[in-house]
Amino acid sequence: MIDSGFDRRDFLKVLGWSGAAVALSGCGNTSIEDGKETVVSYVEANDYMIPGIGVYFNSTCAQCDAGCSINGRVREGRVLKLEGNPDSAINKGKLCALGQAGVQHHYNPDRVREPLLRNGSKGETITWEKAYALIAEKLSGVQGEEIAFLSGGVSGHLKALLGNYLESLGTKNHFVYEAVAPGVTRAANVKAYGVDMPRYRFDKAQVVLSFGADFLGSWVSPVHFSQQYAQFRKGVNGQRGVLIQVESKMTLTGANADRWLAVKPGTEGVLALGIINALGMATGDVAELVKGYDKARVSHETGVSPGQIDKIAALLKLRSPSLVLAGSAAEGYAHGSQNAAAINLLNQVLGNVGKTIEAPVSVPFPQMAPSKGNTAALKLLNDGLAAGKYKVLFNFAANPVFTAPGAFKFKDHLSKAGFKVAFAHYLDETALQADLVLPLDSALEDWGTQVPEYMTEGAQINIQQPLMERLHANTRGMGDILLNLIKQKKADEYKGFEDYYAYLRGAMLQNKGALGGGGTDDDTFWNTTLTQGIVKLAGTAGALSAHVGAAGLTLPAHAAADEQYPLHLIPGVTANLRDGRHTNQPWLQESPDPLTTIVWDSWVEVHPKKATELGIVEGDIVEVTSKTGSVKAQVYLFPGIHPEAISIPVGRGHDAMGRYARGYGVNPFQIMDAVFERETGELAMHETRVNIKKTGQRVLVVKDEGSAGALQMGRKIAARVSTDQVDLSKEV
Amino acid sequence: MYRFLRFPILLVGLFLAVSSFAANNPQPALTTEDALGPQVVQPIEFPHNRHAGLRNPADPTNSDPLKGGMEINCQYCHTYARRSAVAGIPPLQKCIGCHQSIESVRNKPRIVELFKYWDAKKAVPWKKVHDLPDFVRFNHERHIKRFVEQQDRPVQEACGYCHGDVKEMTVARRQKPLSMGWCATCHEKDHPVVAEGGTPIAGQAYWYSFQKPVAQDKSAVVKAKGPNDCWQCHK
Repeated sequence: MIDSGFDRRDFLKVLGWSGAAVALSGCGNTSIEDGKETVVSYVEANDYMIPGIGVYFNSTCAQCDAGCSINGRVREGRVLKLEGNPDSAINKGKLCALGQAGVQHHYNPDRVREPLLRNGSKGETITWEKAYALIAEKLSGVQGEEIAFLSGGVSGHLKALLGNYLESLGTKNHFVYEAVAPGVTRAANVKAYGVDMPRYRFDKAQVVLSFGADFLGSWVSPVHFSQQYAQFRKGVNGQRGVLIQVESKMTLTGANADRWLAVKPGTEGVLALGIINALGMATGDVAELVKGYDKARVSHETGVSPGQIDKIAALLKLRSPSLVLAGSAAEGYAHGSQNAAAINLLNQVLGNVGKTIEAPVSVPFPQMAPSKGNTAALKLLNDGLAAGKYKVLFNFAANPVFTAPGAFKFKDHLSKAGFKVAFAHYLDETALQADLVLPLDSALEDWGTQVPEYMTEGAQINIQQPLMERLHANTRGMGDILLNLIKQKKADEYKGFEDYYAYLRGAMLQNKGALGGGGTDDDTFWNTTLTQGIVKLAGTAGALSAHVGAAGLTLPAHAAADEQYPLHLIPGVTANLRDGRHTNQPWLQESPDPLTTIVWDSWVEVHPKKATELGIVEGDIVEVTSKTGSVKAQVYLFPGIHPEAISIPVGRGHDAMGRYARGYGVNPFQIMDAVFERETGELAMHETRVNIKKTGQRVLVVKDEGSAGALQMGRKIAARVSTDQVDLSKEV
Repeated sequence: MYRFLRFPILLVGLFLAVSSFAANNPQPALTTEDALGPQVVQPIEFPHNRHAGLRNPADPTNSDPLKGGMEINCQYCHTYARRSAVAGIPPLQKCIGCHQSIESVRNKPRIVELFKYWDAKKAVPWKKVHDLPDFVRFNHERHIKRFVEQQDRPVQEACGYCHGDVKEMTVARRQKPLSMGWCATCHEKDHPVVAEGGTPIAGQAYWYSFQKPVAQDKSAVVKAKGPNDCWQCHK
């Protein structure tokens, strides 16, 4: 805290005078550049290309996997602004901040521009021909099982092409890894509903009870959910929906909730069973299961008062249908599947299945459906690497050196792979370890199709098309690279396709009838498809299997606190940064975190009570130590976190990637222990236990909120009173 | 407590301000001694006079390039001016569109140069002749609509208000200061806002009806001043 006598009034005076002086001296400085600046005209221009007038093209946002359709404004051949495409059922013309920042991915100054081959510690620029020849050389004589391909989630024609390439290499080692993905929830959903991601109808629900699902911020398809949430708030028959959020660390969704309940980390399932018990609606083995979960026990284990449990149960009984969600906070424990199962059981007891939880539709082309994966896949790869199994490793759209938990020692194991090829936009942590880095086109320069995991009304295939010419002459689209690589193996089969565009067009036209273009000629169908940016399909709706059952559901007994590491580390997934693949986009660094308003840095959320206990104040640099490692970051006192937990946001703390990412903040992935969810083998992201120690340093926390913690400096700008002094029943 | 810091900080601010001024002086002259813009050397010396100049009455076949022009409408090439705020530069395609069928000049050095760019599919790196500061948004479309389409003035006259008598030039050179004061000299004048005989011109008359008093001359032509709101140009 800085306490100086240089008050606001003085500051304004000085600012005014110096500002005036600068303005005066600035007179006569203009930006006129007669005869110096070059005005480049078009060589050939279409009729619709008029300087100063924007034209709009539809494409698909590639900032996350939700599959929002975008509409980009292009002027003088440059893409300037992205907005949502109103025709998409997913985002209906809206776009989140992460999507808006997509132009900064495209224009980023730190993009890789040339193919680079490792020469000692440096990357040497080589030609594409040489790069392809090198890959062919390294692959020759290598067995299929000695080749591994690590990728993020891929879908559409790229997935099909990638599958064909891997088949031509004779390898089955395709590891799909998304660091932040609802892997456990998917598995639990398959058990409860028979599908891994049903369609959630917030708009039909009267009460939403969310166990740590940040559906307004970063969970599954936040733009779509936000719109449904708006309808839910407007209500059915004028009755406004009520949102109750249960979690140990307040998320953006928690901040919007009518009632926010802090539970002891990991006890979400216990609370769900406690609510089933309090409802008294269960029968048979479910009733048997929840019999032991009386209010006293549940309240003791979760820290939620018996009164609150009664209120929730009463509300859920009164208003139906409701919707209960299991989010990342519930699934992030070693017993995450059990937590999620208990929460899904609550849905079934309430009779929500079929009402607010519907069967999803899927694209009638299973080979294009998105490939999904979480940390279990990375663990498998990591074990293989540690055993020295792989001679050639490809990496695309994943940055495991940054996102793998520290306990994996992934970077060390990676060095045991013989030849590492990275398809990269930036020289991120993983690309820096590669032997060959191949530069990719940005999403606004490349062709492609995308199939979203979470479909809404009807199925859709999203079209990705270039909004402008390549910025850098030597970047290539992933599809083009794969096509070139596959031609090394199956030249005859793919010789008809000059490039990925031709492949894509050919593949789409081949299925014209199934894609709703029957009866139109090829060009009309193709042009309509590109204009719309979306192919809408009837899709095939599956059926939910709602089998109520408590079989196999056992929640672990409450574990005793660890003396050495008493606190839970909750990795905060923010709406802007997600897993950190876009941290080099300065808009995302600059936009304040919605809850803490901190910019350009990481922080450690500590409950004020805990802070008092430990003698910590805001801005103290603390060392957060787990069994795996430690990081140092500034403290932010946050009442929205359970006193037994601390939270550090993920996404920052890069030591590579680019000028806007490197050196800002810390990376909590580094200190994560390798604790796995028991049934799925996914990383239990919330299981890491830590302790915190003051280092003695203190900084001023850079945030948009007033530096004194939203104090009003003694002036009553907004009068307030704490909630315990208000009798809400008399207020309404 | 730190009140004594005020003066030093002010001094530092002033010093920075003055030094930034000094560092920026001398500045390039915006206007030459003869009140014109600087002479700009272009990659191809484009002869505006040959394209837009008046025909030589003594030479009906227009055979002598030194003596007459072709009277091509400015908007034939500068087609974006009436469609957009910025005039843009004609695409190379436009030059070639005519010149690929004009065999008589095909081997002239400038045309040979022009086709070199075309064959390489490269844009000609023209230098900017008319530039405004980035905080000024001059709207070409608006002026063409008003003077050419609504008031039916000759195109060369309307363009010439700002660009000078282009038909007499080879490579264009800035003829007017294009400063705000200079813009205002025109916007402060009374201009006819109805056509001869008092017929209102589209939305113009409506807009000007808000401006009182409206001057009226003997021919019953209503006159008023041009827009003078700051935001018209400083958006």
